[in-house]
Amino acid sequence: MADAAPTESLEELAHRFRQEAEAVSDRAQYDALRVAWVGKKQGVLRSLMGRMKEVPPSERRDYGQAVNRLKTEVEKGLQALAARLEDADRQQALKGASVDVTLPGRQPDLGTLHPLTRVVAEMEEIFAELGYSVAEGPEVESDFHNFEALNFPPDHPARDTQDTFFVKGSSHQDGRQDLVLRTHTSPVQIRTMLSRRPPIRVICPGRVYRNDNDLRHSPMFHQIECLAIDEGITVGDLKGTLEAFIQRLFSPDTGVRLRPSYFPFTEPSAEVDITCPFCGGTGITPGTNDPCPVCSGTGWMEILGAGMVDPRVLLACDIDPDRYSGFAFGLGIDRVAMIRYGVPNIRMLFDSDLRLLRQIQG
Amino acid sequence: MKLSYQWIAEAVDLPEGVDEVARRLTAAGLAVENQEEVGEDVALDVDITTNRPDCMNHLGMAREAAVLFGRELRRPQAQSEAGGAPTAEVATVSIEDPEQCRRYVAWAVRGVTIGPSPQWIVDRLELLGLRSVNNVVDITNYVLWECGQPLHAFDLAKLRGADEQGPAEIVVREARDGETLTTLDGEARELKAGMLIIADASGPIGLAGVMGGADSEVTDSTVDVLLESAYFDPRPVRRTASALGMHTDASHRFERGADPELCAWAAQRAAALLVEVAGGEISESPVDAYPAPFEERAIELSQRRLEAFAGARFEREQVEAWFRGLGFGIERTSSNERNDPADSDEQGARWTVTVPSWRYLDMERVEDLYEEVIRLYGYDAIEATLPALSGHDGNTSAVYRRGMAARRHLAACGLAETVHFAFQDAAVDGRYPGVFQQGQPGAGPAVELVNPLSDLYRVMRRSLVPGLLGASLYNQRRGASAVKIFEIGHVFLALEENSSLTGVPVDERETLAVARGGVIGNDWQGEKELDFFDLKGVVESLFSTFAVTLQVRPAAVAREELVSGVAADLVVVEEAGEEQVVGYLGQILDAEDLPFPLFVAELETAALVPEGDRFSGLRVTPPSRFPGVGADLTLTHSLDVPFAEILAVVHGLKLEDLADVQLVSRYQGKGVPEGAVNTTLRFHYSSAEGSLTQDAVNARQSAVQQELSRRFAWSEGAG
Repeated sequence: MADAAPTESLEELAHRFRQEAEAVSDRAQYDALRVAWVGKKQGVLRSLMGRMKEVPPSERRDYGQAVNRLKTEVEKGLQALAARLEDADRQQALKGASVDVTLPGRQPDLGTLHPLTRVVAEMEEIFAELGYSVAEGPEVESDFHNFEALNFPPDHPARDTQDTFFVKGSSHQDGRQDLVLRTHTSPVQIRTMLSRRPPIRVICPGRVYRNDNDLRHSPMFHQIECLAIDEGITVGDLKGTLEAFIQRLFSPDTGVRLRPSYFPFTEPSAEVDITCPFCGGTGITPGTNDPCPVCSGTGWMEILGAGMVDPRVLLACDIDPDRYSGFAFGLGIDRVAMIRYGVPNIRMLFDSDLRLLRQIQG
Repeated sequence: MKLSYQWIAEAVDLPEGVDEVARRLTAAGLAVENQEEVGEDVALDVDITTNRPDCMNHLGMAREAAVLFGRELRRPQAQSEAGGAPTAEVATVSIEDPEQCRRYVAWAVRGVTIGPSPQWIVDRLELLGLRSVNNVVDITNYVLWECGQPLHAFDLAKLRGADEQGPAEIVVREARDGETLTTLDGEARELKAGMLIIADASGPIGLAGVMGGADSEVTDSTVDVLLESAYFDPRPVRRTASALGMHTDASHRFERGADPELCAWAAQRAAALLVEVAGGEISESPVDAYPAPFEERAIELSQRRLEAFAGARFEREQVEAWFRGLGFGIERTSSNERNDPADSDEQGARWTVTVPSWRYLDMERVEDLYEEVIRLYGYDAIEATLPALSGHDGNTSAVYRRGMAARRHLAACGLAETVHFAFQDAAVDGRYPGVFQQGQPGAGPAVELVNPLSDLYRVMRRSLVPGLLGASLYNQRRGASAVKIFEIGHVFLALEENSSLTGVPVDERETLAVARGGVIGNDWQGEKELDFFDLKGVVESLFSTFAVTLQVRPAAVAREELVSGVAADLVVVEEAGEEQVVGYLGQILDAEDLPFPLFVAELETAALVPEGDRFSGLRVTPPSRFPGVGADLTLTHSLDVPFAEILAVVHGLKLEDLADVQLVSRYQGKGVPEGAVNTTLRFHYSSAEGSLTQDAVNARQSAVQQELSRRFAWSEGAG
């Protein structure tokens, strides 16, 4: 890397620079190269400029231009070389960097949806795909919507099973209270049928109230109601809709069993059982010989009530039962949430214990 | 209801065994919930729905089993040698209102010997959960459980007529106010008009269909017995029983519907058993008052319509066999043969079906007949289909959708959703009026329950906030250093008039409430003590994400539940400029022993749905192609100057190209006079036309500085 030999042509110098630049592997060599070629005192380019006066005047112009070209090439070469070294330094630095990836991440501060909300949202999604919308109604209801239009006449024994909360200051002439806390979401059926004409396909989620308070019962709980009214709706349609809904909600191999039953507002009516989601319907706790505690060893779990809408209910809502038929079913949302999340006691859903709520996922 | 398997099997051959019988009964709507071996027998616990009183006895269950297995039903003999004088010589019966008592059969058995029942009767009653009393009482119970007809046995000697020597005069009538009766259970009962009773010439001797009187009951010294076998209408029995808070095996059946055609048979059956067990002589004829005879009901049934309803095909002969087995009459009125079983337009058979007396209340419409066919055919056998979609059924309401979206938004903001009882202690509720306005026209008090679980649950809440406060305390006591929770639910206020929305006199609204307070995070994550502005930010983000313009203003009306200086109204400004208070925000005044301040907000969910064009608030401003220029400005001013005023002045200047102004810091302390604060704002200018020069921006900034200083600058005297 000495000074330019007088015998070297400019082309040879350019070639020599490229070779020397390629051989540079660290900062010190780079600095040396830079000084050797563009140094103010001894640099090759400096001395080439110094030789100008030795060049015959007629060639000076060409000589000057050639030296300038070489200068440009050297400067660009040095720049590229500097960038290459910088890059290498950075790579070198990253090679040494390290974090303990097992330290906890700083998570965004996320909250949680209540298990009931998650279950309702999922049910809504399933029914939306089947063409249903959501309908709502008040929780303080009239006797008409909660009972009478649903074919619970006054003094009917089926009213006894409803453990009704009555609201003060709303007495009928016969002394009955006209206002109640709705005991089921079925009054929303009535409100829906009174406010629109078939075809109707709605689900009605909401809070309901019964005067019943013990380890297994809460005086407030949640139901979801499904109602479909149209021409030509059959018992088979009810069964098919139940299967589609339940198998999506639990698993595709869930067994669904309908047992004839009685509700005043459906005819015929059915209790619907599903194969126990815990033991898969075997009745035996998986991996043991013990009876499944969830279904008491029966393999089945009663989960909802269903039926074909009673013609009296249709008539009460001014829908012609000779033309239209339909089905309705209702189930407890709390129960589904308890099954899904393994919550052992319904009251825990209303305790708002953040240690439980913070665990809710999916 | 417990029933004896052996007893059922006496009336029908059941070689399949108890498990299969239980399974088939369950599948047909008589759910056998439990089986328990009792000696040689099995007690079946059957859940019998209120519409099937005919199955609340052994013959009724045997009838079902016979149909399910295609067998014959054997009824026991009720005949016995009857030689005694006609009952009419010892008793007369009159019925005041045949609508309340359709039929009353009285049958005398004289010369019985009261004593213990034979062991087989004792055992059977015991399996059902009944205690043996004596042979006469046990037989009335036995026959009730055999065929479903409630019976009562009077001591004939204790019944009175107008003439001491004449026949007993039995009257079925309504009680009169002031009458009393001591019932068999020893309770003295005050009777009231409207209750249905049995009386003799001396007064009440029984509550019709509920319980007999103690004065006329059969005792060890009884010799002559008068058996009562009647049909009482469900309504008076239910009225009487519920007014007296009573529930008996008899009232349970009458309330659900007994069989008027069975009365005489049951009386005779009991009389025959009585003679067999206790000796004596049966009167040759009963008194049978039957002023309102059973009327047969016929219903037309079409095979085509039945099948269209069920979504299944049925054999004609099978349908007929089922109905006959259940005791219906069925006559084929047309029997169009079907050539193509797949062609459902063909008529198929038509029938006239007549309803048996024991199913009279349950079988009124053709749908009731469909149910019989479907339950015997089995839901299992019906093919599952999905309804064909026709038409459109309307939309889920915007408020509902907003509620669900708000839940997700709040969860994403770090809040946990909670659900609390809507019941509230009236005293607590009184302190938390929630979103309801003071002095709202037509508003009443809180909605109050007649039969609350306890005083703590007496009224329906007007606000969700007390629930959130309760949950905060609950969690803090369990070690939580911070609470960030919300609930969406209904709140209630009584109205004087019916609401036009719901038709009931209640103002019921859905609100959303949020509570935050305490210290979150730690040194590693970054620590933060939650304050008023953290909650305000959550509320603001909720409104802005739904494109609703919100203003937060100092509370216009004092709220007693909030710290007075830390209380604000949430005001929605509609497009037309109309303003509406939709909620509130502030710090809870009485947070009990919560060691940190709790900030709450409550607002109506409906306020999150923008009025008018729901798309207008969504439009964006395309960003400029040129980078903007920022500039900070610090103003020292009195703490009394609301930030909103400063901002209003800035906006009032309508500075060209001003894209955004943000608060960067508020500083009090060294270098700032007492009573003053340094507010630093960051301005951002951006133009769609081209790059802005720092000089152009500086000119605008000095205009702002000048105006703000003129209006608000701190001076010792002013502070």
